Amino acid sequence: MLAVATALDVKDMDLRAASAAIKESTGSETLEIRNAAHLHGLCAGLKTGEYDIIGDAGDYLGVLNDGATIRVTGNVGQYVGDNMTRGLIVVEGSAAYGAGVYPYGGALVIRGNAGDFTATMNKGATIIVCGDVGDEIATYHLAGDVVVVGNAGVNFGNYMIRGALYIGGEFKSQGHNTRIEEITIEDVQKLRRYFEQFDVQADATRFRKLIAETAKPFYGKIVKRHE
Amino acid sequence: MAVVGAFCVSVMKNACINAQYPGKCATCVEVCPYQVYALDGDGQVSVQNFNACVGCRICAEFCPGNAIRINSAEPEYITRALWTFPTVEEIHHKALTGQYLLRGFGTMGPLPHFDSIVVVPSQISSPAPRDKYREECKTDVVIGEGRCDKPLHLKLPIVFPAMSFGALSREAKLALAICAAQMGIATNTGEGGLVPGENYMANGYADAERTDKKWEPGGYLVMQWSTGRWGVSVDYVRAGDAVEVKIGQGAKPGMGGHLLGKKVTEEIAAVRGVPPGSDALSPCRYYDAQTADDMKRMVAFLRDVTDYQVPILMKLGPSRPYADVKACAEAGVDAISIDGAAGGTGASPDIVTQGVGIPTIACIPPAVRALKDLGLHRKVKLIALGGLRGGLDAFKALAMGADAVGFASAAEIALGCRACMACHKGECVYGITSQNPRLRARLDPEEGATRLRNFIHATAEEIKILTMLSGHTSIHDLSEEDLRALDLNTAAITGLKLIGYEKRLPWWDN
Ligand SMILES: Cc1cc2nc3c(=O)[nH]c(=O)nc-3n(C[C@H](O)[C@H](O)[C@H](O)COP(=O)(O)O)c2cc1C
Repeated sequence: MLAVATALDVKDMDLRAASAAIKESTGSETLEIRNAAHLHGLCAGLKTGEYDIIGDAGDYLGVLNDGATIRVTGNVGQYVGDNMTRGLIVVEGSAAYGAGVYPYGGALVIRGNAGDFTATMNKGATIIVCGDVGDEIATYHLAGDVVVVGNAGVNFGNYMIRGALYIGGEFKSQGHNTRIEEITIEDVQKLRRYFEQFDVQADATRFRKLIAETAKPFYGKIVKRHE
Repeated sequence: MAVVGAFCVSVMKNACINAQYPGKCATCVEVCPYQVYALDGDGQVSVQNFNACVGCRICAEFCPGNAIRINSAEPEYITRALWTFPTVEEIHHKALTGQYLLRGFGTMGPLPHFDSIVVVPSQISSPAPRDKYREECKTDVVIGEGRCDKPLHLKLPIVFPAMSFGALSREAKLALAICAAQMGIATNTGEGGLVPGENYMANGYADAERTDKKWEPGGYLVMQWSTGRWGVSVDYVRAGDAVEVKIGQGAKPGMGGHLLGKKVTEEIAAVRGVPPGSDALSPCRYYDAQTADDMKRMVAFLRDVTDYQVPILMKLGPSRPYADVKACAEAGVDAISIDGAAGGTGASPDIVTQGVGIPTIACIPPAVRALKDLGLHRKVKLIALGGLRGGLDAFKALAMGADAVGFASAAEIALGCRACMACHKGECVYGITSQNPRLRARLDPEEGATRLRNFIHATAEEIKILTMLSGHTSIHDLSEEDLRALDLNTAAITGLKLIGYEKRLPWWDN
């Protein structure tokens, strides 16, 4: 049997046309998508399939991803992998503001740098940034792992509640309700597994780990009327 | 100067120590700064000069037997002006605990509201009234008509606004869904994820396979997409009949949802992804949208993941209604809910509920004007929320230009609530805003749905009466001409014609 066509140029398409074309062309093989930088919200809510985006992608790439594997050879705009629940997104370049916000699961790997508010309100995904990240990373982190190989800005892990943050470089300041913990053998093994799985070059033993000071940072700050 | 005789002072003899052991206690006599109390010859306490009482309640605070009651005979805001008993108590509370007040429910206190507007009946100079008992009245509204593949055909211009699973019990959520199915209207998930069953029940089915259509005609479920994104996945977004993007709500505009740890049971924690017992505080803004352009893109991808089938709605708090509604419409939504300052909540700081936001009646006219300026009035539907109590308020909102109205607090009350304002505590004795299984067992979803259905039915009848006595046979024919403002202030803020003057005030174009 001949292989189905696996390349799609979305140059002159709007989001609706592009996503219809993508659904149509999704097969057992990887679908190559070209000229997608003008589209925001591409590959949204997909449950299966493998997609290679050649070049850059716009905002909200792979939003609500629920099982697809998406690779981008260039850079992505804001909010890549927003609200992902399953699947994998790998960005060879860098990501702007708000990469991997609100995810419940799956994995997001950014080989370049990522902007501010990356991995905010993570509820269970694995997010790996191989370069540096901006400020307020992993704000209100509720579950899952965030791994930053490079450096981070201010308020790293602000008001995290559960889960773990790993950082290979430096951070400008530590967020509220965080605590630096000794990295354990299990952590090193876990990081090595991630690095192997996602092909990241880093020495797991030199990472530092941040966890939440308490799971109830807001507890007791507010009481109820007449009690 | 305090008003003389403004307080009723009573000493309960069975609790008063002096009454039982004369001469043993005269604390009230000692502490009262105005000699309201005196000892008689036998050493008995008597209230000799109650006219002098200024309502400070020092006596009540010091009384060892807790025997003294001070009741104001005049409203305290007259007799004590700024320093009413509740104000003094609130300051003491803060001084003792360092904490501000938090509560459920909507604004308690005077706000300009629908009460200062009257309905204008039809007589001889306008089309004759219609007969409510013998003629038909059109009440259906379509959201998303011509704008998406599966618009919502509401039988009545009524929705249940977002109330989250967490703030409400599972039973209350299901009661709303069943009522929506029975009345052919829409209910809303709220920002706490989907209660299993809510979606098919709202459509009228008793089972997940949708084989048993138990409730006719079947209604709709709006899936709320909010800033905490609790329990949201692509399956969630696709599980209902519409998606609502929440920007804000009337009781706490500019703040996110607030669910106290007490209500975060294992079940709620599992849906929301927070540890049980920990407060679930939604962010006040989207972490995945910062500008109006981002909102446009968000609406676009929500349309895309729902395959361009279902309407997309947006919900606003009461801030700058004209500009905000315009921005929503420009983001490309099919309907906009605007929640006035009077809107309800499951938990919010008291000062925010009380003092923040534009009153409901002042939100509707600018919202309508924004849609008219864009040529979208009646195409993009406007849903008015915030402190609506029944058919009279609903009629006024519709005549001011809204396409539909929502009842949240009123729906809670229809379920049995008595507005104690303690929703945040999670100990609702009617099982409506509680997660405690013992209390929840008191609310049966089907019984609750019956009460809700009766309330919605009566409200719809009220809307029909008013529509028909003002000479119309369809709610779509209502206009501002069917209303008058009772006072200058209301005429000034709503642009309605003032009674007596019979014109709009000069700064509204006539
Ligand atoms: C118990 C309760 C929970 C609520 N939860 C939400 C929510 O999750 N999301 C939201 O947008 N609005 C929420 N609201 C606000 C309502 O959707 C609605 O805007 C408001 O209550 C309307 O005013 P009314 O109660 O006077 O009808 C809630 C209100 C109540 C009373």
